[in-house]
Amino acid sequence: MEFWTAFYAISFYVATLIFLVFGGHKVYQYAVTPAPLKIPTTPAPVTTSGVVVRLLLEVTIFKSLFRSNKWIWLFALIFHLALWIVLIRHLRYFIDPVWAIVALAQPFGKYGSFAMLFGLFALLARRMFVARICYISTPSDYLMLFLLLAIGISGTLISFVTHTDIIQFKAFMLSVLNFNFFNWQTIPTDTMLLVHLTAVILLMIVFPFSKLLHVPGVFFSPTRNQVDNPREKRHVAPWAVKEFETSPASTTSE
Amino acid sequence: MKILKNLRKLGFGLLLVTTVVGASGEVPMPEIPKAKQNFSAEQSCIEPTDIMRRQHGTFLKHYRNDTTRRGIRAIQYNLVACINCHVTADESGNYPNVHKGSEHFCRSCHSYAAVNVDCFQCHTSQPQESFSSDMGPVQSD
Repeated sequence: MEFWTAFYAISFYVATLIFLVFGGHKVYQYAVTPAPLKIPTTPAPVTTSGVVVRLLLEVTIFKSLFRSNKWIWLFALIFHLALWIVLIRHLRYFIDPVWAIVALAQPFGKYGSFAMLFGLFALLARRMFVARICYISTPSDYLMLFLLLAIGISGTLISFVTHTDIIQFKAFMLSVLNFNFFNWQTIPTDTMLLVHLTAVILLMIVFPFSKLLHVPGVFFSPTRNQVDNPREKRHVAPWAVKEFETSPASTTSE
Repeated sequence: MKILKNLRKLGFGLLLVTTVVGASGEVPMPEIPKAKQNFSAEQSCIEPTDIMRRQHGTFLKHYRNDTTRRGIRAIQYNLVACINCHVTADESGNYPNVHKGSEHFCRSCHSYAAVNVDCFQCHTSQPQESFSSDMGPVQSD
């Protein structure tokens, strides 16, 4: 078994395991953390379906970010939308036969990489040159940007400059997904491909321990996911009822 | 250490899954039709296979630009020559369709990786009778 094939195959398994187990654990933590107070940022929706719409607008067009800072919103939206297109395009390496929607996304994803890089460079410039943002930036803030830039730059180079054998790579990826232990298809060892994959593996590993947790986290944000109905329906945490009250019904008439 | 216990459970689960799934072995691969002849005794195509697999698109694009913009025809990478050698007929003498399925030489990989083949909107995807088999370029006007 060729060394790099085994190295990257095993790294993918380890990274995926870390991503799923620790990421899943984090989501579980978010889900069971009590929200003792009614604190939706008003004006807030007064029905559950309203909250669904609010969260959808939050995750698709970053509504509250738009209201707070137009520049960050613009760059963040460009980056995230481009990332979506690029991710959809990459499904071709994991699915056979390739879905029609993925095939359609190919040309868009190819040039989407430039939009993604533009967004990332803009966000990096903001972090470096806006004095107050620079002051509060930690190494991990930069790490995420550098990892994503490494992924974006190496990927764009593979696409447009130093091509790799994508047929062989897809065969490798399918054999990894198929759990063909130590019987994997050989990985092409072009430098840029290995750089690309290394950065992806590192990003998957740091995901559950970093600010990248904003992906699941946004759905658990009490100021966004709560219904604004404190008068219609009393907000009370189950543990508070058990601890301090004989029965929740006896207090409703106060 | 609840998480450790869960991890161990997950490990066993994964082991179980892999022993079941891992046995199956085969992954889908493109079935690439054989070419009619080798370029030379040492080399199967006009460049080493490694390079052809990575760079054929670039070669063809440069050839296209040289030909259409600068009028240069006699160069080593020639789409017509590729087609003549690589596209083979089935038993009944029919050539595979480049626009559907995956039997055509180009399509076998391009379908697998969902890459468009634009060449054949203008060019023919089947070998031409009049073309000499020495892989030289066509010398018409």
